[in-house]
Amino acid sequence: MTLADYMTVSALLFLIGVFGALTRRNIIGILMSIELMFNAANLNLAAFDRFLHPEGLIGQTLAIFTITVAAAEIVVGLALLLAIYRNTDTTYVEDFHLLKG
Amino acid sequence: MIEYAWLIPLIPVAASLIILFGAKEDPHSPLPWIGIGAIAVCLALSAAILWGFVSGGVALPYEKNWDWFSLATTIGGQSFVWTVPVGVLIDPPAAVLLFVVSLVSLMVQVYSISYMHDDTRFKRFFAFVSFFTAAMLGLVVSSNILVGFMCWELMGLTSYLLIGFWFERPGPCEAQKKAFMTTKLGDSGLYLALLLLYAKTGTFQLTQLHQHFALGLVAPAAATVAAFGILLGAMGKSAQAPLMVWLPDAMEGPTPGSALIHAATMVAAGILVVSKLYFVFLAAPLAMETAAWLGLITAFMAAAMALVSHDIKRVLAFSTVSQLGFMMCALGCGGFTAGLFHLTTHAFFKALLFLGAGSVIHAVHTNDMRQMGGLSRRMLLTFATMTVAVLAISGIWPFAGFYSKDMILVAAWNHEKAIFWPLLFTALMTAFYMTRLLTLTFLGDDRDHERFHHAHESPALITVPLLVLAFFSLTAGMAIAHDGLAARLFPKPALTAAAPAVAAAPATTATPPAVGAAPAANTSEVQTPEAEQELPDWLKFGIPAFFVPGAMLLAFFMYRGPKFEAAESIRNTFAPITTLLDRRWYLDDAFLALVAFCDQVAALAFWIDANIVDRVFVDGWGLLMRILAEISNFFDGAFVDATVDGVGGLSNDLGVGLRSLVADGQVQEYMMYAAIAFSLAATLILTR
Repeated sequence: MTLADYMTVSALLFLIGVFGALTRRNIIGILMSIELMFNAANLNLAAFDRFLHPEGLIGQTLAIFTITVAAAEIVVGLALLLAIYRNTDTTYVEDFHLLKG
Repeated sequence: MIEYAWLIPLIPVAASLIILFGAKEDPHSPLPWIGIGAIAVCLALSAAILWGFVSGGVALPYEKNWDWFSLATTIGGQSFVWTVPVGVLIDPPAAVLLFVVSLVSLMVQVYSISYMHDDTRFKRFFAFVSFFTAAMLGLVVSSNILVGFMCWELMGLTSYLLIGFWFERPGPCEAQKKAFMTTKLGDSGLYLALLLLYAKTGTFQLTQLHQHFALGLVAPAAATVAAFGILLGAMGKSAQAPLMVWLPDAMEGPTPGSALIHAATMVAAGILVVSKLYFVFLAAPLAMETAAWLGLITAFMAAAMALVSHDIKRVLAFSTVSQLGFMMCALGCGGFTAGLFHLTTHAFFKALLFLGAGSVIHAVHTNDMRQMGGLSRRMLLTFATMTVAVLAISGIWPFAGFYSKDMILVAAWNHEKAIFWPLLFTALMTAFYMTRLLTLTFLGDDRDHERFHHAHESPALITVPLLVLAFFSLTAGMAIAHDGLAARLFPKPALTAAAPAVAAAPATTATPPAVGAAPAANTSEVQTPEAEQELPDWLKFGIPAFFVPGAMLLAFFMYRGPKFEAAESIRNTFAPITTLLDRRWYLDDAFLALVAFCDQVAALAFWIDANIVDRVFVDGWGLLMRILAEISNFFDGAFVDATVDGVGGLSNDLGVGLRSLVADGQVQEYMMYAAIAFSLAATLILTR
């Protein structure tokens, strides 16, 4: 396994995440796609750490830190989603235009 | 002693300041004695210098300079440092004048102790007199003509203060303004002349200026212009026609102040400056000739006015103007020695006349001679000293005026017969009106009995100065004319390159040149080519022996009686002339008319300014600018602002259009645009 392989997998994961975030109508799907992009980034962190600075664990530590932050963030996102759902009775993002000017 | 000459002007200045600020005003203040002490020290110094020169112990001219200030300038890329010195230059005339000024001032101050004793501004008078004297002494000793000019202006100031000493009265108030403005008119000429001289020579030092002229470095045209400027200054200060109008009015001041102004300081300054800058006149024959004629005209006009005046001080004032005319005429005729000689003797007898007149006025409390008469029986000392002065000014042998006036007449005879005859006639007029004054005041009957009975001889503080001055009026002429001393004391400056002023005066007394030898020795082409001649015998002896006594006797007999009918009938017969003289040749009216004319010219100028310049140019220009501004405003609104607004509106419309196209609140759409933009950017960067 070379760094390029990890990068390829990571890029594919990211693109899948982007595609999902752009195309999914259900907001839960979008959040999941964002999680995919997070994980692609985490994979990159771990891979670069492993291949470029194998003597330390900083990259892996950062990846774990990011996972934690992402978990906290998804909690906030789900809480917002729950609040919106209770107000609008829908989870489809095209119906969300609270911020439209 | 001469090393201390620089102190001479400074001592009275210090005294003046002490008197002025030393204590509060008090009619019995002892401070004036400080001024008297200071001037006595000056007199002692001056007398030592003069005696040193006369007896041969002191070599004159003596010059000592100190650096005053330096200016660093750059001319044509080269740096120069101009150092302006200040210092003393004591030539023989200056030594004489130092003595004369100090003596007269001392006598005036001693006299004033008594004369001014009950005045509310007793102390201030002495401060002014000390300062006045200091300014004159400064002008006499200064080696730098710029410093001299400052002293000259200070004299103008102090004369203003003295003439308007009783400033709460309207008369002195008007007189002081008149004196100040008239003399300023002349001063402007002198100032311009000095600037011109500086521009041409680069120095204010008298000796250096003289050398420039002696070497012929100054163009004749410049010299002529400068000489006329100096002459204008002298016309103002020494009251020459037509700027003589201020001097008769200057009588409004206290009499001792008038004595000082008329004898030693103010009016002598004009003659003195002409004599100090005589080399300029030597280089400008036209100005010399003008000075001669000007002096003659002044002498005659003033003497004529003195014939008809009834005010004792005014007669004296006119006689001062007349005598100054004699001096100016002498200087103009090339009689340098004669002019300064007369200045010296005149200082003594004119101070005496004024102080004597003051003594009389003090006794009878009027200036009008028609209310006097017979006072010789009441005031013998005053009468005796006044008689000496009258004999001196009339030119009776052996009084002082005889020698100096004789020398002036000789100078006029040698220069131009057309000047000599009117001048001789004026001299006879002098004898006439002075005898008239003496007769009206002291001789004949007492015309106003009440005043006569109240009159009494003045106290010793007044009569002693009179006696001292009478002594000098009697002896000064004899002493100076004796053994060619006049030519040594007042050596005529020469314009020969070989003998500039510094070397001109003999340092020792081995062989004093005879009278007339000094000018003849200088064979410069600008001087009168023929040698000095004596008057013809019948004039030489006839003038003092017959003509002058004749004029005096005529006056005596005309004015002896109680009503002087003869004089009155003459007065009435020639009424137009009398009126002309009473109105002082209408000079005052002429000046007033000139002022009124200038007033009208100013009014016209104001009208032009208000109605043409302001209306047409200022307002018109404003209107034009306003129209242009309106046009500019229209252009700004219609084109520039419209363009700016248009760009803004275009952006606005574009933004609104774009928003309706893309911005519908769909987050995914925005993310898609972001993704597209990101991928485009990434593609661009990666494929670069």
